[in-house]
Amino acid sequence: MIPPGETRKLLTRFFRSWRLRGLNMHRRISRCLVLLGFSISLLARAQGPPQSGGDFSNNPQPNALPSGVILLKGAWSSASDSVTPLPEGGRVAGSVYSNQYLGLTYALSRDWTEKYSGPPPSANGYYVLAQIRPAEKFKGTSRGIILIAAQDLFFTLTPAGNALELTNYSKDALSPDYKVEQPPALVRIGSHSFVRFDYVSPVAELHWHVLATQIRCHMVQFVFTSRDTKLMESLIQEMGKMTLPAEAGPISGRGGGEVPVCIKDYAQGENVLERIDPVIAERHFNPVPVRIIIDKEGKVKHVHFLSAFPDQAKAITDALFQWRFRPYLRDGRRVEVETGVMFGRAPRRPTSSSAEAVNE
Amino acid sequence: MKTIEFAWVYALLVALFFPGMAFAQTDPGVRSTTGVNAGQPLASVTANANDLAFFQAGLEQFNEHQTVKGDNPGLGPRFNLDSCGACHSQPAPGGTSPASLIFPNVGSNPQSQVIASGLVSGSTNTIPFFVVANGPVREARFPFFFNANGTANINAPNGGVEDLFTVTGRADAGACTLQQPSFTAARAANNIIFRIPTPTFGTGLMANIDDSTLLANHTTQATNRLGIGGTFNHNGNDGTISRYGWKAQNKSLMIFAGEAYNVEMGISNELFTQDRPLPGEDQLGSGLPANCLNLAGTGYPEDITHSDGTDAHTVTSDTALFSVFMQFLDQPTPSATVPGGAASISRGRALFSAVGCAVCHTPSLTTQPSHLTAGLGDATANLFSDIEIHHMGATLADNVSQGGAGGDQFRTAPLWGLGQRIFFLHDGRATDLLAAIEAHEGNGGEANIVEAIFDQLLTPGQQQDMLNFLRSL
Repeated sequence: MIPPGETRKLLTRFFRSWRLRGLNMHRRISRCLVLLGFSISLLARAQGPPQSGGDFSNNPQPNALPSGVILLKGAWSSASDSVTPLPEGGRVAGSVYSNQYLGLTYALSRDWTEKYSGPPPSANGYYVLAQIRPAEKFKGTSRGIILIAAQDLFFTLTPAGNALELTNYSKDALSPDYKVEQPPALVRIGSHSFVRFDYVSPVAELHWHVLATQIRCHMVQFVFTSRDTKLMESLIQEMGKMTLPAEAGPISGRGGGEVPVCIKDYAQGENVLERIDPVIAERHFNPVPVRIIIDKEGKVKHVHFLSAFPDQAKAITDALFQWRFRPYLRDGRRVEVETGVMFGRAPRRPTSSSAEAVNE
Repeated sequence: MKTIEFAWVYALLVALFFPGMAFAQTDPGVRSTTGVNAGQPLASVTANANDLAFFQAGLEQFNEHQTVKGDNPGLGPRFNLDSCGACHSQPAPGGTSPASLIFPNVGSNPQSQVIASGLVSGSTNTIPFFVVANGPVREARFPFFFNANGTANINAPNGGVEDLFTVTGRADAGACTLQQPSFTAARAANNIIFRIPTPTFGTGLMANIDDSTLLANHTTQATNRLGIGGTFNHNGNDGTISRYGWKAQNKSLMIFAGEAYNVEMGISNELFTQDRPLPGEDQLGSGLPANCLNLAGTGYPEDITHSDGTDAHTVTSDTALFSVFMQFLDQPTPSATVPGGAASISRGRALFSAVGCAVCHTPSLTTQPSHLTAGLGDATANLFSDIEIHHMGATLADNVSQGGAGGDQFRTAPLWGLGQRIFFLHDGRATDLLAAIEAHEGNGGEANIVEAIFDQLLTPGQQQDMLNFLRSL
């Protein structure tokens, strides 16, 4: 389907080329006819049933669909606008992983690369941000893998309110396949603080070193896996060069600058002045975790679906933009708030922790 | 003297190449020295004469060949084959795609033989390009409907099964005239994907795992540090977790059986009560031509519960018998020593968990009490699956959506019985375990980290232990 934005871009490009080139009248009329035909076909596309030859085709040389592309997505991440940064919006470019939402940049070691992108966020708020490994041209003798991941603390299935608690929970839940080498402990790498947790698989002779911090109610995790602990230590020391918000930290870390305050369950109780429930026609039985940013006036400014079917996303977005909230005050000033709302079928959670994910 | 020189040269060559040979990990191949280790009824079924009679009746129906008219009527008007057991036969009835050259040498791909055997008319049907004698049994789907100009219309998702053959030209098909779908054009448009039969051993145990057990396992695995998410497919009617089929789209074995009878063999039944047109025949508003309906002459549905039957299994519909047969099939028996020896298999099992394969391929889950037979109740199902659907990324994506599963999401394939399977992955693209593991990585997939650990960080010896373990299942 041609998305509305794409159609607009195509038409804008068309008119711009017409204006710039100063076409003669004959060509203008021809183009008008083409445009008319294009518009009619778009109208037909929008209003009629899909044009189709069904299961049959006699064309031996049609345009082929691209290979290795996911064209039909199920529940997927999406957002109400394409400008506001998203956690999954980070990219590796020029040997640097940058994530505007988290305020994070991480320079890859020489000849390390991201071979494959990760999956979309999970329905319980788990993000694979980057998967880094030695490139084909890597000449070193030791190999390793770096996973940069994030867990949205609003939607975690575990009873944890911050990165330290979540790491402690992970240690307690560690499978018998592994042995703890260093229990979770607070450390500083360069100017940044993390919780560090090391474990080993004796049978595989592989080590995992995990460093986690917290930004905007997400646990951001760097997971190093290798047989070579020296390599891992050197990679960890290189983390000192990365940029993170100064406010990041494993217990009450938050985003830097003017990012919204993140508060779990802000969209509940007396904070909600007006609420319109979405009408979702089709039942999917899936959890639909949503992050929203509420502006200083108490209106929803941005909606981010971690996982939703398109019809769910549309209905929920339409409803959320009608919600009104009590503006949040910090030091007597109104500030923007970021919170989470779970629609659809919420997954079962174990007993909740005493701590809540609040950056205040 | 010459003999001595030869010996030296030979020894030198061995010394040069032996290390490579010793540490080059290879798929040991289909386990052939331990007999057929699947296809038996549960012990509690064997111990009960009535249950065993039901199982045997189900097996008989499972292997029965259907015709358009006659004693076993209802075949067609479109179909992929004429018997459940023809496709589900490796290494025993209930299994998956067979081969004639590989243990236990069940036979050639039966779809490749349909003209030679007279099942379809060679003057009105051709063998599609993707069906070959030593390849897997396949069903085909077009992810999207065609536009009138022959390109795939990505605004019109299809994804339904495009049956390979028609009854047209058979003596018992009357004047029914149907065309095979445009498989060659679909290949040119890159608008065709394949599926192979899922093995059904142990599926009664899978049916009897409560949702709460699956959800608890999901929560336990949620703290993995391997990039794995996962979710469940749900039945659209009652919202519970569905579990059968490559995308876990089917809720129960009865529905699985009824749908397959209808879709793969063209036989209407009490769950799917009409003859099935191709997806496009319904989409374009035509349905099946009138002269292709009620070819059996029995009226609908063609498979029914027989109120005039004289005992339990002559009363029971074919669909229900298929379901009973699958319910009562025991899980495959792994080998403790083959291939590679007990120590290697044991190490491989430990490595399988340690590197993270077991996060999705959950080694075992416990069933709830069973009303059907004792063997299904409070039992350990060693299925090596979490029954979740996972994003497998662009390498494996088939762009078919089923229930809540999108184009790249697949149920974690249960691995029990893997040691005696020939074809791997949803479309049977791999016959080598290493290739199947390699296909787990790709853009957008959840298995990239685990695959990379296997591929990049394990030693060849460790990889071999894992392959031996997998082939022991």
